Amino acid sequence: MRILKFFITKIILKRWILVLGMVLLLLLANYLTFTAARSMISTFQGYQEIETLNQEGTFIANLDPNSEADFDRIEINDTQKVYEYLNSNYTYALQVDGFVTSLDNKHDMEVSFNYINEEAYKTKQFGLSQGNHLNFNYQFNKEEIPVLVGAGLATTYPVGSNIEITDPVTQQLVNLKVQGVLEKNTHRSNFYAPNSKNYFNFSVFLPINEEFIQSAGLDLHVNGLMDIVLLDSTKEQALNLKELIQENTGLEFNFFNQQENLNYFEDYYINSLKIICIITLILLLILVCLATWNTLVSIRLMIKDFTIHLLVGLNHSKLRAIFYSYFGLLFSINLAILFVITAFNRYGFWLSKNSILATYGVFGLISMDWFALLIVLLIDLIIGFAIVELAIRKIKSIPISVGVLD
Amino acid sequence: MNSIIKLEIQKKTFKKKGFSILNDFELEVEPGERLSIIGESGVGKTSLLNIIGLLDTQYQGSYKLFGSSVKDLSQNKLAEWRNQKIGFVLQESALINSLTIEDNIKLPLMYANVEKDPTVQDHFKQITNKIGIESILKKKPLECSGGQRSRAVFARAVMMNPQVILSDEPTASLDSKNKEKMIDLLFEMNKEFNTTVITVTHDLDLANRHERIITLESSEG
Repeated sequence: MRILKFFITKIILKRWILVLGMVLLLLLANYLTFTAARSMISTFQGYQEIETLNQEGTFIANLDPNSEADFDRIEINDTQKVYEYLNSNYTYALQVDGFVTSLDNKHDMEVSFNYINEEAYKTKQFGLSQGNHLNFNYQFNKEEIPVLVGAGLATTYPVGSNIEITDPVTQQLVNLKVQGVLEKNTHRSNFYAPNSKNYFNFSVFLPINEEFIQSAGLDLHVNGLMDIVLLDSTKEQALNLKELIQENTGLEFNFFNQQENLNYFEDYYINSLKIICIITLILLLILVCLATWNTLVSIRLMIKDFTIHLLVGLNHSKLRAIFYSYFGLLFSINLAILFVITAFNRYGFWLSKNSILATYGVFGLISMDWFALLIVLLIDLIIGFAIVELAIRKIKSIPISVGVLD
Repeated sequence: MNSIIKLEIQKKTFKKKGFSILNDFELEVEPGERLSIIGESGVGKTSLLNIIGLLDTQYQGSYKLFGSSVKDLSQNKLAEWRNQKIGFVLQESALINSLTIEDNIKLPLMYANVEKDPTVQDHFKQITNKIGIESILKKKPLECSGGQRSRAVFARAVMMNPQVILSDEPTASLDSKNKEKMIDLLFEMNKEFNTTVITVTHDLDLANRHERIITLESSEG
């Protein structure tokens, strides 16, 4: 420790520009690895969620991006016809998120009302930290509606409490009864962008049945169609629905089956991930080369210092330990910077009251952040090993008697 | 008496340069002996000093130092002996420019973990006082004259009271007054602590003040 302190303060920091250069290069390498790793973890998580829908007879709706949608001309009668047809002929999963409303809560966050039907609820298999799962056999307008609340609302609205509010989609005064609390950071990944997530820490989940759907407004009807999932269906049935929706609303939907979704995922996401991986690897390699070059230049400039130390008693094992400790320190600083940046970003969502992205985590970081940091640490170990061993080899290649007179 | 140094070199080869030196060279040195090595440039005087000082172990032959075969010693042991048993008086440039003269001189003490020892502190004061460098202790090497730097290198070499002092042209950049001071101190240590002194020099006057002189001659290798 004494010798390490001496080396850092009296030898290495005297060339502070090289040290700063090294810190920046390694920080860049770490940030790049962290971003790529987190993106891959998030996509993988999303893919696992979507995979539950990749089953025979499942068709996921997707508004044709090449079609011209005119939402203004859609009327409630049009969508009601669609839902009547759906209810009579199909088994379907429906989940509509993001109806933001004002509901008092401890954190003063905007609250998002999410609507989910029984089939969608079954596929989601949400984990609860308290209470019971939703039931869907209630009578709309006559009974309390059982709801689930996100972890952020659990203190203000514990299990058993009631919420009286004007429902944002039916515009009717409803009485909600909190039946359960979702586990922290319960989320949903976008079907067609698996690395994009909505967190439900400040959400209220309302179970919807046919009665509710018929009472709901145009917004829920239209938004519901965007991600509707047909279950136990056929391509022909999906095409029939596609035609009916187009006929009534003018919206052109594609209904992708398991194989098509998989192909889409592979074509678009797997290729994107491959490109991200390749670019990250190339950039990482360039940064590691620059960091190695920086180290070798530093050694060239400090060879006299090192060899004089070797002349008067330092041995190569201690020198190796000094280098590992030094790089360990640099990587620790970089990991701490990454940690602070990530924690600050996560905290930023709380500050900006962004309820969709506000998350709970250890020191503000959620599991995917920690996992990405772990990957960064592993990459750092490899980089550190390569640089230190190269540096020691370089120093060993210069005879002490030559180095001291450099 | 047992030899402190027993060296039998078959040859020291420089593969890249394609030649060898110190062919069939033998040397025995007694404890407390004052030995001077002279010879033309390129005959291997400094290489011999590097071998004796455990800086170079790449040669054919055998070398026993303090009764142990050097080739059997680990790198860590060699470093420990360089720290505690051998002192190197090199050219004046062999100082770390980013450190003060004091830090440079105290480097061997740090590796022996004795820098805070009061006896060592006294020894440090005595040495720096004797060779007249107290006034430059807080200066950096580049702020000192060549002579001052030479004296600092000397102080560092003797700081651990080594059993062997190896000097390579120790008085090259010194004026006659400081040259005398340093030689006196070197021989004083030789007498007081029975320190073995081996000096490589072109200075015949300095060489003649040693008990034994070895003249290295070039040999076809």
